[in-house]
Amino acid sequence: MLSFSFERHTLDNGLTVILAPDRAVPVVALNLWYGVGSRNERPGRTGFAHLFEHMMFQGSAHVPKNRHFELVEGAGGSLNATTWFDRTNYFETLPSHHLDLALWLESDRMGWLLPAMTQEKLDNQRDVVLNERRERYENQPYGDWDERLQRMVFPEDHPYHHTVIGSAEDIAAADLDDVAEFFQVYYAPNNAVLTLTGDLDPALALDRVREYFGEIPRGDQVPPIPGRLDPGERIGGTVRETVRARVPLPRVYLGSRVPPFTVDDFYAADVATSVLSDGRASRLYERLVRERGIAKDVVSYAFPLATGRSFMISWITGYPESDPAELETALAAELEGLTDVSDGEVERALALAETRFLRQVAQLATRADMFSMSEQLLGDAGRLNTEMERLRAVTPAQVRDFAERCLGADNRAVLTYLPEEEA
Amino acid sequence: MSSPDPLRRHAGPPEPGAIRPFHLPPVVSHSRGDGLRVLSLTRPEIPLASGCIVLDAGETTAPADRGGLAVLAGDILTGGTESRNAAELAEALERLGVSLRVSTGWDATTMSFTTLADRLDDTLEVVAEVLESAVFPEAEVERVRRQRLAAIRQRRMDPGQLASDELNRTLFSPEHPYHRGLSGETESVEAIQRSEVVSFAHRRYRPDRAGFILVGDLAAEQVQEAAERHLERWTGQVDTLPEISEEKLPEARPVVLVHRPGAVQSEIRIGQVGPARSLEGEAELDVGNAVLGGSFTSRLNLNLREKHGFTYGVRSGFARRRHSGLFSIGTAVQTEVTMAALQEAFFEFRRYLAHGPDADEVRQARDYLAGVFPLRMETAPQLAARMAELHIFGLPLEYHHGYRERIRAVTTESIHRVLGRILDPERCAVVIAGDADELQAPLEALGLGEVEVRSGDGATAGVSS
Repeated sequence: MLSFSFERHTLDNGLTVILAPDRAVPVVALNLWYGVGSRNERPGRTGFAHLFEHMMFQGSAHVPKNRHFELVEGAGGSLNATTWFDRTNYFETLPSHHLDLALWLESDRMGWLLPAMTQEKLDNQRDVVLNERRERYENQPYGDWDERLQRMVFPEDHPYHHTVIGSAEDIAAADLDDVAEFFQVYYAPNNAVLTLTGDLDPALALDRVREYFGEIPRGDQVPPIPGRLDPGERIGGTVRETVRARVPLPRVYLGSRVPPFTVDDFYAADVATSVLSDGRASRLYERLVRERGIAKDVVSYAFPLATGRSFMISWITGYPESDPAELETALAAELEGLTDVSDGEVERALALAETRFLRQVAQLATRADMFSMSEQLLGDAGRLNTEMERLRAVTPAQVRDFAERCLGADNRAVLTYLPEEEA
Repeated sequence: MSSPDPLRRHAGPPEPGAIRPFHLPPVVSHSRGDGLRVLSLTRPEIPLASGCIVLDAGETTAPADRGGLAVLAGDILTGGTESRNAAELAEALERLGVSLRVSTGWDATTMSFTTLADRLDDTLEVVAEVLESAVFPEAEVERVRRQRLAAIRQRRMDPGQLASDELNRTLFSPEHPYHRGLSGETESVEAIQRSEVVSFAHRRYRPDRAGFILVGDLAAEQVQEAAERHLERWTGQVDTLPEISEEKLPEARPVVLVHRPGAVQSEIRIGQVGPARSLEGEAELDVGNAVLGGSFTSRLNLNLREKHGFTYGVRSGFARRRHSGLFSIGTAVQTEVTMAALQEAFFEFRRYLAHGPDADEVRQARDYLAGVFPLRMETAPQLAARMAELHIFGLPLEYHHGYRERIRAVTTESIHRVLGRILDPERCAVVIAGDADELQAPLEALGLGEVEVRSGDGATAGVSS
């Protein structure tokens, strides 16, 4: 079966390095996970981890503003970064003879970001991020659903109570001192995993990594995540919110706390969502979209989150004339109904999961990200080599048990969007 | 281990190492007696096979008063066959781990799949069953129609899609298919009869102008044999249709304001009719666009985002189709800075067309496009999609193999010449979806042209001058 060879090393400064050669094409993917995300933000500074990610592209001591993008694009590479609840990842994929360039750029901003920081750059990127917030959340139908649903699923003192994008007020309040402090606390080699996949010789690559990253000093131990990390297994009831907004169609979101990504129980949640909404023979599509015709579309997925509990989301979009109560009842009944899931449904879900997994790992950049994620969140870089076996080990009984424990009315947030009354 | 050479961090970016060539395996083409074209590419290291059937049934082949017919028919294609209903078909494929997707664009309807190599025969059996005996049951027609009407409603309330749709409506005359939304309008979709869906499928889902494309660990002969064996009973010819005319540029610049009361951002589109897809001048368009707005470090993005913070991002691009294409600049900006952003965008656009790119910019963009090329050819589904383009646009089989060479041959002069012939900032339409109460007066004061205000639901609310 599928197996990717890799090496794992730790530099003296604590940087974890994963090297996974695959020389089929002359391309190398670099992926750098920092163990910091929105979960580490303190009150009054929501959205800061993401704003900080933007600042990482504003140049460092030896790289002027805009040069980072110019150099990578000019080398024929693609690049970006994303911030999420548990982490921030930076990545570039380039022709393999430009590996040194990627290492030089990433090490320069890991070691020497602050000398290049200015108020002007911060003001500029704060405007960019506020516009990102407007474009993706404020000016979009249903754009604030995650903000509302997270508040309902997680208590105020849990780090997943607030969104990654954060509040506009908090973003506007950030200053240069915040940037310096955040950098010193979280952007240290001992809080990062560097993965290289693709056209590389592991011994030579390790040598280059040592050369570029070795002189960056180890940071202090990262402070504990603020808040109470274990919110409890269930929400403890059904909480509801109804929003009238400028949306085209009624839609109902259901949210539940589920086991975190770090425990094997999470696989049952993953398979459950696949039974529910993966493909056109899935329960939700087959029954609610096709058979009953009450749904325009249906979605269900579980986020792979690590802090205490994770988060499962399902939604149903109705038609203009739909009764929202009927949408909610129908969706909730299908979730609860997983307590009678059949062997055949689980087999179908696993077959789809296998093809999807093989598609994902076929891309060097995605494979590199999976290595980093497994190492950072599970301490087990090689997890992707056993991922399919673990998924296949999920039994229908485990899915039924998961539904019993997690998908009942005692663990449910219901967020309903209704189109504004026409004037 | 010792370092081969000491790091000189201050000396600037390191020199690249020795370049390793990227080889794309050849594309092999074979035509069946009745015209079905089989394209294959062999990648032994890939455990998956990806394929698609490309049908000459794009939305431009729908009758003028039945906009959305091709999209609707494509959506219903997997709605049942003579021997299996929709649920049974989906179940059979998904048990194999296969999602069969049908997507309809302007120029083609494409049925695509990715499967483990050892399940390819089982997959193709179902694909062939769909092509030979889809029945388009009444219940599926009605269900999919409702979904499509709801999706059209969703598009009208999504500011970015609304602005793009209104740009097409503005640039193309009502007689041209591109005037309407790809999936039609509420009235045209409501008017479609089941008999028209069946007749469309009968006339368009035919092998003589279709492509069968497969990428994976299979030799060309194996792919041809698989096509023969599985698609033997799929026969017939598509009917011929009148040619679609190329759209002309307008004499005066259209300026359209689509009213979205209270919107916190304005979706801006600056666009014009562009060239149809062909090899002529293509490399110049690609490199020229990368410098203007097709990369992160483009002039537009460095100005509007990295200098002014007006937006999360701005892009420009050529949509290239069989008939007229489209050039557009698109961005979403905070309502308060809409006019400033528009002025900066026009400043960059006009300056670029007047003087062309610098030599450094061209070198940077050429290296970018040539370098990222292999990243777009990495996986079996990506390769299958690229090969589908060869078939749809009648490009030579070596098209991709010569792409980087063509890109590297582009010069500042050739870009300036080609773009100057095609783009005209003074006749480009401007479409803004945003709060007209805030924007109308300053937009008129900008003097770009007569401002037409439309309501978000498509009606014209009034014209001012």
